Amino acid sequence: MKAVKKIGFICIAILMVVVTACGSNNNSKSPSPAADSKDGNKVTEQPAAADPFGKYKDPVTIRIGQGIDPTDKSLPQGDTPENNQYTRHIKEQLNVDTKIVWQASKGKDYDQKVNLAIASDDLPDLVIVNDAQLRQMVKAGQLADLSEVFDQYASPAIKGIIEKTEGRALEAVNFDGKMMALPNVTARGDAVHTMWIRQDWLDKLKLEVPKTVDELAAVAKAFVEQDPDGNNQKDTIGISGPQAGGKIHANFITSSNNTFGLDPIFSAYLAYPGFWLEGKDGKPVYGSIQPEVKDALAKLREMYAAGLIDREMSIRKDAAEPVVAGKSGIFFGPFWMGYWPLPDAIKNDPTANWQAYALPLDKNGEYSPHMATPSSQFLAVRKGYEHPEVALKLLNLLVRDEATFDVSVTLDHYPVRIVYAPVDEIEFTLQSLQEVLAGTKKPEDLNIPGYKLLVDDANKVTKTKLEPYDKNDIQYWNTDDMGAWSRLYSIFVGGKPLMEKRNEVYSLTYSQTKTMESRWANLEKLETETFLKIIMGAAPLESFDMFVEDWKKQDGDKVTEEVAEAVKK
Amino acid sequence: MTNRGFEKHYYLMLLPGMVWLILFSLVPMLGIVMAFQDFNPGLGIFKSEWIGLENFKYMFLLSDSKTIMFNTIYIAVLKIIGNLLVPLIFALMLNELRVIVMKRWIQTIVYLPHFLSWVILSGILLDVFAFKGPVNGMLTFFGVEPILFLARADLFPYIVVGSDVWKEFGFNTIIYLAALTSINPALYEAAAIDGATRLQRLRFVTVPGITTTIVLLAVLSLGNVLNAGFDQIFNMYNPLVYSTGDIIDTWVYRAGLQNLQFSLATAMGLLKSVVSFVLIVISYYLASRFANYRIF
Repeated sequence: MKAVKKIGFICIAILMVVVTACGSNNNSKSPSPAADSKDGNKVTEQPAAADPFGKYKDPVTIRIGQGIDPTDKSLPQGDTPENNQYTRHIKEQLNVDTKIVWQASKGKDYDQKVNLAIASDDLPDLVIVNDAQLRQMVKAGQLADLSEVFDQYASPAIKGIIEKTEGRALEAVNFDGKMMALPNVTARGDAVHTMWIRQDWLDKLKLEVPKTVDELAAVAKAFVEQDPDGNNQKDTIGISGPQAGGKIHANFITSSNNTFGLDPIFSAYLAYPGFWLEGKDGKPVYGSIQPEVKDALAKLREMYAAGLIDREMSIRKDAAEPVVAGKSGIFFGPFWMGYWPLPDAIKNDPTANWQAYALPLDKNGEYSPHMATPSSQFLAVRKGYEHPEVALKLLNLLVRDEATFDVSVTLDHYPVRIVYAPVDEIEFTLQSLQEVLAGTKKPEDLNIPGYKLLVDDANKVTKTKLEPYDKNDIQYWNTDDMGAWSRLYSIFVGGKPLMEKRNEVYSLTYSQTKTMESRWANLEKLETETFLKIIMGAAPLESFDMFVEDWKKQDGDKVTEEVAEAVKK
Repeated sequence: MTNRGFEKHYYLMLLPGMVWLILFSLVPMLGIVMAFQDFNPGLGIFKSEWIGLENFKYMFLLSDSKTIMFNTIYIAVLKIIGNLLVPLIFALMLNELRVIVMKRWIQTIVYLPHFLSWVILSGILLDVFAFKGPVNGMLTFFGVEPILFLARADLFPYIVVGSDVWKEFGFNTIIYLAALTSINPALYEAAAIDGATRLQRLRFVTVPGITTTIVLLAVLSLGNVLNAGFDQIFNMYNPLVYSTGDIIDTWVYRAGLQNLQFSLATAMGLLKSVVSFVLIVISYYLASRFANYRIF
């Protein structure tokens, strides 16, 4: 009997590995941690009216749906997603009981669960949704209006962070002047896709860091042909591409964290597929149907045919796998690659020297990345829920006390957590830490409201970053504390390109219009299919022109008009 | 048998099955009305706006509709043919095998993939057909350029059908083998005495003996003409092969569960159900006519 049980366990363990191997990444949550420490002035006891941190007299229960990470093992023995240090803290501070009505693994599964909840009109009290879901729920009249609650209950810290987005965050949740959900605010670093490259391979083959797309192609060619991993086999990939179900480029709906996309190559041609741009006549145009995209596709097609881009892009189940295995030389992603997938890569090969650059440059010699909306996740409250203000109280508490939490239990266990980070968190942290290393600042000088991990970072940086401080190569890092390494490597290596000058390109809108709700899926499919086929050589480059016409015909023009209408407002 | 009390508890045993059927098959049929509505989950199926055939009109405007209809039927028909013929031939071959132990072993081994889910099998297949996978390894050995199989829209349906037949033929073989055991051995003896060769015995004793089973299986599989296998294709396809690999079920999944177009997805699903229903009625008629198969 015991043996049977054991086998059962092993089977489950194997299954878990398989499941997570398939399900991880791409939707990998941005680890850029939420922000804001205690806002210095502790709110003095206000009378009952509207206290952002007020404790309820009688216990209030929240029924929530929670996204979880199936591989997470950070909960101590005996604790559960419903009863852990965070929920106990909430109970203690607010007298709020957490009840999880369903959980699903983060990403696709979670989205699907929310979609089902919407369709069956069986919503939890509080739920985190994306833009499309938010729109659907507002249309279905399923959500509570949070305008008043927000005014009364949002803590100054949260209001401050939201203000810093210059209206972008509030715009995303504004429906006819009503605030229908609470928007998150993420650091700008998530939006900028930089070039990650194996510096040790470059050095070995005596190559320079490629500045332009042509140089990039030359380096990729060398990576493929000159056996940079030295195993006498032609088994290396020049540039990694997206995995099955991944996106070739970010778009206005999912505008950040498109790891393994080919965005920087498009940007180098001043092509911004998936984004809404201002046309020559000042009217909005859709980025994907612009002639620059054709140029970029032509180049990508040429590079793919020459074997410089992963042959199995968009078919591979896990794009990170060749990076981890030391078989890929270049990929594109945001700053936080030090959290994933690089830790596994350097465990495999401690000399894998991944460095990030704000490259390749466009024809004007500038780096012109597309930028994201700071708000892509929303905390929504079910219509008819008696205590809509609980949503704000939970977030107030999170932002105030996050610095005091023991984050060895992942913050994902905080009920319905959405990220609040100052937009410049990464750049500011990097600057401050450099000053700490230079000795011009002490960790205790860095207790600045909003940047809650800064002091902790400053304390760890001298242990983790080895001299010389001006070099970021992998041999100048101490990897004993992988947690600290992940964060600091992300900030020093991934954050460095963020300090450089760039031409930011924003989409005119980051949310869907009415016609898009029913037509966009079809248009997007048309686009993905056409672009992939062109790049991978299954369709001629000229099919791009066909696509432009089809796109316009299949209600694309109508959508464009609606965007023009929406932007005017 | 006239004892009524005796019959009653048989009906009682039927109850769980009936409850299941009503809850999970009949009640959800109410949802069909969504196909004729602009379904709004907040209002539910009773109050959502009625838009008649609007969804169907849009559905037929989409260039996708024709593609997925064709793909579904094409892949399903190939699967039906493959799943009838391959196991039949295999069963006949296995039946001629004299060494019983060997026969049992083979039977069990070919039966194994049937128990693996497509989620797992598709992962394995993706690796097998990968650019550096074993199949391409073999091709390069013979001097052929490696092929990116799963990106080739022209090959995808055959990979799907081939792998499905490979997965299921062991199971279907068993059905045929069962039919083969029901053939009276006296017939073989008589044929042997009359001087029939092995091939002749196969042709004139074995094949006629299992014709009813073949016809029955063939006719019943008609009801599956619109089932091209969601879980298999969903786990194996990618945008590059949408043109030949996207089927009704995967399309409905994307429209309804990923893109929240509930009404459109329902309309497509309803169309599929209606066509399937007609086919099942036809297949039942044919089955009762040619194979004496009756439920009622």
